[in-house]
Amino acid sequence: MSFDYIVSILGPMLEGAQMTILLFLIAIAVSIPLGFLLTLAVRSRFKTLSRLAQTYIYVMRGTPLLLQLLFICFGLPMIPVIGEYLVLDRFVAACLGFILNYAAYFAEIFRGGLLAIDKGQYEAAQVLGLNKFQTMTRVILPQMFRIALPAVANESVTLVKDTALLYAVAVPELLHFAETAVNRDFTIAPFLVAGIIYLIMTLILTMFFKWIEKRFNFA
Amino acid sequence: MAIIEVKNLKKSYGHLDVLKQITFDVNKNDVVAVIGPSGSGKSTMLRSLVQLETIDGGSICVSGDYLVKDGVYSKPADIKNITAKMGMVFQHFNLFPHLTVKENLELAPKLVKKQAPSAIQQQSKDILEKIGLSSHANAYPSNLSGGQKQRVAIARALMMNPDILLFDEPTSALDPELTGEVLQVMKDLAKEHMTMIVVTHEMGFAKEVANRVIFMDNGEIVESGHPAELFENPQHERTKAFLNRSLK
Repeated sequence: MSFDYIVSILGPMLEGAQMTILLFLIAIAVSIPLGFLLTLAVRSRFKTLSRLAQTYIYVMRGTPLLLQLLFICFGLPMIPVIGEYLVLDRFVAACLGFILNYAAYFAEIFRGGLLAIDKGQYEAAQVLGLNKFQTMTRVILPQMFRIALPAVANESVTLVKDTALLYAVAVPELLHFAETAVNRDFTIAPFLVAGIIYLIMTLILTMFFKWIEKRFNFA
Repeated sequence: MAIIEVKNLKKSYGHLDVLKQITFDVNKNDVVAVIGPSGSGKSTMLRSLVQLETIDGGSICVSGDYLVKDGVYSKPADIKNITAKMGMVFQHFNLFPHLTVKENLELAPKLVKKQAPSAIQQQSKDILEKIGLSSHANAYPSNLSGGQKQRVAIARALMMNPDILLFDEPTSALDPELTGEVLQVMKDLAKEHMTMIVVTHEMGFAKEVANRVIFMDNGEIVESGHPAELFENPQHERTKAFLNRSLK
């Protein structure tokens, strides 16, 4: 396992890591707001909307992400009549799969955050004359995000690692390049390098969330 | 003259009647202490005045405006205007933990009253000074003692310039050595002729500060009167039994 060899495989692997990071950023940027909307839908007064959202969360959390990805990439195009219009670019399909899946998890995290807020907070806001919207945006949500932060951090680390599932739908990402190099050069070094790159990415992410947690510490 | 008139207030949870035909008046500048055993409906009665509980029958009239008349509530906009005349202090403070003391005080005036920021800041500065917490303006509630938290909660209510302050067991969640500082703030308010209704277990406060005591038991007002009369010469057996238990 020479130093030169590692440098030589590093180029394509970092390129793969770029794909990983891109997917991560897109998935997190869309699934967090979507998850929050789902939380609101679950808590909605409109029973039909609430049930729909609950069913959605149940299905997304109750089936493997890999199955969902395979379904979107290979299953949708096989649907009669409309299937031919559902052939998506692999990367787009993968983004869609991650967003839809992670939104369900984030929805549950935010719901937990809302449940943790004492009803006295709503009562104090009401007696002070805040309307529902002001209560939500100025009192409840800031607390909910703070409470949800550790769980969001945890889920984000899982997301970084789950991007390796792109391997199964043949989108060239970090693990894909490692696997190719292992098969081609008959050495496990690329796997180790991939592991280290994942660790660096999750370390940066963990530090980022620690920093945010500290910034929003009300103590 | 009566600033609050409550007539035949009724509320039940299923078959349980928590308020049975409650009737009382509160005059301007009164300090009314509401005492009674747990589960007697004291808190529910107080909370119904600011629409934290919905009642099933009776009337609540504040400064001549009906919040609810014979069980029929006014329009939401009117309810908002009427309840805005009252401030509320809770047993568990209910401060906003993500905001500093100063921000806790200034949030509602900023959002609801839409006063000039400079006026709001001046007011919060004055009130903090009055309750002796100027040096804690930028602290978060989690860094305050229970007594300090409750004083901030009182200050937050005062920021809305209420005509009437309602206290729901303001010292019950405090360590005994911290109740004094909160009671002192309340006494100061009484001296300034703030109209107050205080649900409390502090018999000493009721005796010393209140000019009227209402004894509730089992969803009814059993007896009410001047503290000297009610404490020294209770007319009803239930009042006697309760006072015996509380004052020994």
